[in-house]
Amino acid sequence: MTRRLKTTAQLIAFACVAGLLALLVWSVVHQQHAPGVGSVAPSFTLRRLDGSGRVSLASYRGKPVVLNFWASWCEPCKSEAAVLQRDWASYRGRGVVFLGVDYHDLNSDARRFVSAHALTFPMLEDGSGNVTDRYGISQVPETYVLNRRGRVVAHLRGPITDPGFADQFQNAIAKAAA
Amino acid sequence: MLRFLAVIAAALVFAAPAAACAHPRTSLNYLQGQVMCPTCHTTLDMSDSQAAQQIKGFIAKKVAACWTAQRIEAALVANYGQAILAAPSHRGFDLLAWWLPIVGVLAGAIVLAFGVWRWSRRKEPEEPDEPDEPTDSGLDEETERRLDDLLARFD
Repeated sequence: MTRRLKTTAQLIAFACVAGLLALLVWSVVHQQHAPGVGSVAPSFTLRRLDGSGRVSLASYRGKPVVLNFWASWCEPCKSEAAVLQRDWASYRGRGVVFLGVDYHDLNSDARRFVSAHALTFPMLEDGSGNVTDRYGISQVPETYVLNRRGRVVAHLRGPITDPGFADQFQNAIAKAAA
Repeated sequence: MLRFLAVIAAALVFAAPAAACAHPRTSLNYLQGQVMCPTCHTTLDMSDSQAAQQIKGFIAKKVAACWTAQRIEAALVANYGQAILAAPSHRGFDLLAWWLPIVGVLAGAIVLAFGVWRWSRRKEPEEPDEPDEPTDSGLDEETERRLDDLLARFD
């Protein structure tokens, strides 16, 4: 009886340790990484910020896409907004799609931000940050440029207004649209 | 007299919003410990990030508007998802997070108690039995009789 009890206790302890180890391996394997240049951008469907339905990234397949992650509480996003709007106005005629993804933000503040900066390209909300996590966003603003096949052409970690990024951004759009 | 009137006026100014609430007012301090900062993954009271400051501002406004803690939390969950709350909900799968630690502690206590009980039993000194009757020598009757005769010679 005692030996059976001891064996059972050992089995339970072993199962607990094995379970914890499996959980650790699973979390390491499933860690989110930013999609690298050349890889397919993670698909998503998000609600529009103005509440007028949902938008899927897949629906823009065949067009170059500029995916900008921002938040109303982010200071650099404010200076970047005007540049994005200007670029959107100049590139939209060439079939380039601009999408803004507002993350970890209060909906009301985000709408005020869009209105204050007169942004007219589609704005999506990712309040929970699920999509943003899949893109490995660690700070805002960050911008992805995707080509017509949905592959990453460039990933800019910082405002596109940064001197180092301005040319890189324009080149990436040209490359994505080619 | 003027000072007295000023104190009364100030008291009325500060008491008016509190009196306007039909229920006990919640506080920013309380909710800061219940709500997570979405970018830094700590509670709001431990974060001073821009995202945390934005949520603190939102909470402060809603507290001033007499919203209950539950209503403020519900609004934040609608905006950010369930992960914005520091504690899991008391429904569905989330219940596991509440019950598993209790079950674990109880199971540990039972195992510990059982172990201590067994250990204490094993350590009890075994008292030698004091036989009231002399033990059986295991000799047959004939040998026993002859042994008694032999011993009688020495008496």
